[in-house]
Amino acid sequence: MPKHIIRLLALILGVVVVAIIAPQFLTVDSFYRFGHYRANSVPEIAALEPVLQTPAYCKDCHTERHAQWSAGSHKSVICEVCHGAALGHPQNGKLPIPKDTAKLCTLCHEAMTGRPRTQPQIQVAQHSGGQQCTVCHNPHSPKIAAAVAKVAGNAAAGKQKSADCAACHGEAGISPNDTWPNLAGQNAAYLARILAAYKSGDQKDVAMTPLAQALGNADIQNLATYYAGLSCKGAAGEKAAGNLAAGKVLAKNCAACHGETGIASNPAWPKLAAQKQGYLANALKAFKAGLRKDPMMAGVSRGLSDTDIADLAAFYAAQSCQSTK
Amino acid sequence: MKKEDSKPTLEARRGFLAKLAGAATCAGAAVGAAALGGIPTVSAKTEAPPDGASFPTKDYDWTKHQWGFGVDATKCIGCLRCVEACKTENDVPRNAHQFRTWVERYVHIEGEEEVHIDSQQDPVNINASGSEKEFRFANRYKDAKVDKAFFVPKLCNHCTHPNCVQVCPTGATYRTKDGVVLIDKTYCIGCRYCVQACPYGARYLDEERGVADKCTWCYHRITKGLQPACVEVCPVGARVFGDQKDKQSPISLFIRNNRVQVLRPDTGNAPNVFYVGIDKEVI
Amino acid sequence: MESIINFAPYTGWVYPNETVFEWSVLIAVYPYLTGLVAGAFTVSSLYQVFGFERLKPVAHMALLTSLSFMIFVPTPLLLHLGHPERAFNSTITPHLTSAMAMFGFFASFYVALLILEGWFAYRPFIVQQAQKRTDLLGRFYRLLTLGSYDVSEHAMRYDRKWIFALAVIGIPAAHGLHGYVGFMYGSLKSREWWSSDLMPVIFLFSAIISGVSLLAVLYVVSCKLRKIPVDLACLKGLAYTIWAFIMVALVLEGLEFANIVYKGREGVDMIMQYVTGPLLIPYFILQFAVGAITPFLWLSYMIWRGTTGRALVIGVTVCACLVLFSVFMMRWNVVIGGQEISKTGKGLLSYHLPLFGKEGALVAILLTVAPLGLLYVLTRLFPPWADAATHAHS
Repeated sequence: MPKHIIRLLALILGVVVVAIIAPQFLTVDSFYRFGHYRANSVPEIAALEPVLQTPAYCKDCHTERHAQWSAGSHKSVICEVCHGAALGHPQNGKLPIPKDTAKLCTLCHEAMTGRPRTQPQIQVAQHSGGQQCTVCHNPHSPKIAAAVAKVAGNAAAGKQKSADCAACHGEAGISPNDTWPNLAGQNAAYLARILAAYKSGDQKDVAMTPLAQALGNADIQNLATYYAGLSCKGAAGEKAAGNLAAGKVLAKNCAACHGETGIASNPAWPKLAAQKQGYLANALKAFKAGLRKDPMMAGVSRGLSDTDIADLAAFYAAQSCQSTK
Repeated sequence: MKKEDSKPTLEARRGFLAKLAGAATCAGAAVGAAALGGIPTVSAKTEAPPDGASFPTKDYDWTKHQWGFGVDATKCIGCLRCVEACKTENDVPRNAHQFRTWVERYVHIEGEEEVHIDSQQDPVNINASGSEKEFRFANRYKDAKVDKAFFVPKLCNHCTHPNCVQVCPTGATYRTKDGVVLIDKTYCIGCRYCVQACPYGARYLDEERGVADKCTWCYHRITKGLQPACVEVCPVGARVFGDQKDKQSPISLFIRNNRVQVLRPDTGNAPNVFYVGIDKEVI
Repeated sequence: MESIINFAPYTGWVYPNETVFEWSVLIAVYPYLTGLVAGAFTVSSLYQVFGFERLKPVAHMALLTSLSFMIFVPTPLLLHLGHPERAFNSTITPHLTSAMAMFGFFASFYVALLILEGWFAYRPFIVQQAQKRTDLLGRFYRLLTLGSYDVSEHAMRYDRKWIFALAVIGIPAAHGLHGYVGFMYGSLKSREWWSSDLMPVIFLFSAIISGVSLLAVLYVVSCKLRKIPVDLACLKGLAYTIWAFIMVALVLEGLEFANIVYKGREGVDMIMQYVTGPLLIPYFILQFAVGAITPFLWLSYMIWRGTTGRALVIGVTVCACLVLFSVFMMRWNVVIGGQEISKTGKGLLSYHLPLFGKEGALVAILLTVAPLGLLYVLTRLFPPWADAATHAHS
């Protein structure tokens, strides 16, 4: 065979040998052990540090908050959804407390096409009028604890007892002046709750406290039932001491609980429609000053000016107490 | 003939021998170096952990699990906390075009035949959240007459016969013994053949790292007894995860108690994400 | 913050991850280059193996062309990879279930084959130059001789056998090199536009016509530059080859499209919308009408009328250019077109070709044209001209 062919064959042979042997040396460590991949990649991936820590991690330091959260209706929403991942916390400082709750909460709770009906959803514009959600809702236990007290009293017995109340609240539950509230047609559950609060001292009023303390539980039930059954017609409006149009705009913020025109959606909360203007104004001022205690009302009244209060009171006082539904 | 090429032959012979010597030296050096440096490589390859030793970690033995995932699309509210959590947990590029998991919305408008489908890359939704880094569905159908609408979360199906694994030229992507399809990011060359091959659009190329990426069912979490991040944050329980070997695990119960289906069964990939409550046009 | 990725606009519904185009124009350039390699080699084989004597003037240039383009074949891939430094992973640990893993083997085998065949073809020339020259180039040629100056009849007989064997092996090698690309697309079930049994064959036949057309153009251009008359018989031989293979390519491409429409699988609505919409011009007009049917009709006419002389030269050159264009459009329409149709079958994306950048138009053009530069250098080192006095034995 010619020289060049022999040399060429030798060269080719050399290349082939290298090509066969080289992969043995060049193949990375642990390849082919379990299959066509680098086996050590698996423990490398498994060793990565988890970023989300889950609520069990938060529990040790934030015990109370954790307890509140895990007993509330948000227990399926883990802390890190709102506060961000807890890896490196507390070493790296505090986790953010969301400021724009209206943006955050509506991610889940905005009424949206396609959301199952089981999900609590709101029409944002009509629900809170652009307020932050945390004004009314505790994000860690957001369901508004309006425990609707069952009221099953005797209206006739209540009527009898109401003789003591008529001096201020009127014979038929319509108050004779602007300061004391109408009771006729008010939600029974609310009446029962507020009377009980006056009785227990949760709520303090110079006039109501001694009167309520003299009532028995049965009396409270009866009175609530009686007044709730009265007609609220005849609650003639006084001259409006505030701007009705402005009051209407402000009242959008109250609609979620008190209804658009002051007829509350939940019987645990009072109807405001056709209530006395002066009483409403005083009540709002009392909430604002903390003299009348209610965490929800304290929050919503904080931002109201005196003019706002007057406007709101005027607006509700001017509403019809009959539901238009 | 001989006289003619005697001179060049001699010269050429010397030249050739010199070349051969040189080549031999090089080859010898290479083999020597390889032998020195390569012996550990070669022997490390053959040195496997003792049989029976737990792999991949000493607390987690992959032969004892077979993971599965369930999606209940009747529950999903489209809040996208799963998308957010996944991006945080796995350092996924913060944009609206590359996802390990995403949620699709299907809306049937009255009088229209074609269903409207949108997801996180839709500019309308990007506008609703304000940036590519945050995720939100725009409430775009609130004034429309809607016949039917629902959300469908999507992620890698970790198929039993994954064609992404089949087409990978290097062996950088693979299926583990516990049923999870993973990517070796130190070995991937970034050819994107797997991205093209996946019928579900679950893969993408991580531009910064130059390698393919996809959902791993949070392998680093599940091997520690935790849940994948998306399952952890879902507030309504639309995502279910568990060990198919354990008859009482959430996924086993999910499969047993529901009529489940998979996406694109015609591909023959045998996906391991089981859906409840999807509709005819979900692909 | 500016995004580091370009994402594509779309209509309808596409998967979120699809909004980034993964395979760019470079992935259309790559099969174009391997196609030219395979096609040019076919011309060389037609002469070496099938005895088309009339193709002798271009036979060696075909080899050099094939080699020049083959050297550049890995460049679009390397530029495209996320980790080009790991490119050899697919050759060291090839995943044999993957068509792409075959690249390393086919490519290196084919480069070696081309170099070998060229070496054998040019051996007498190399030996002569080695003996004659005393400059640096002389050392180069002497190195190539492998120390042997034997050009006796005995040695030549071996050489001829080797050339023949290499040319024969080269045919399936070339087809493997280019065919696996077609198989890569055709075997995927994720994209209806790609998924077809005919895809490897379509790629091959369009590759052949592109390579032969390239040779036709290069031959005419080289004759003009060297101021010698064009060998009309040779040119006609090339024209016949183009003509014959265009017919097959047209039939195959037509069949493939017809199958998609006829089978009417899920997603066909979107394909029809795409093909009659955004792809109407690139597909029906540019690839088919202008790039394939026109040259086919023109060639048919010239063959029927026995056109010769200047008219033949102009006609064949123009047809060859059109075919070259059409084959590039075919690669584009398959690679880019396939990605523009969403995997959902319910949406369309649109690819934006950037001008600059690693995967932009300029780089694509450069990679397609650069092999011609290398070819020029090679023709200087190894003159392929059949008429030259120093021409190597064939």
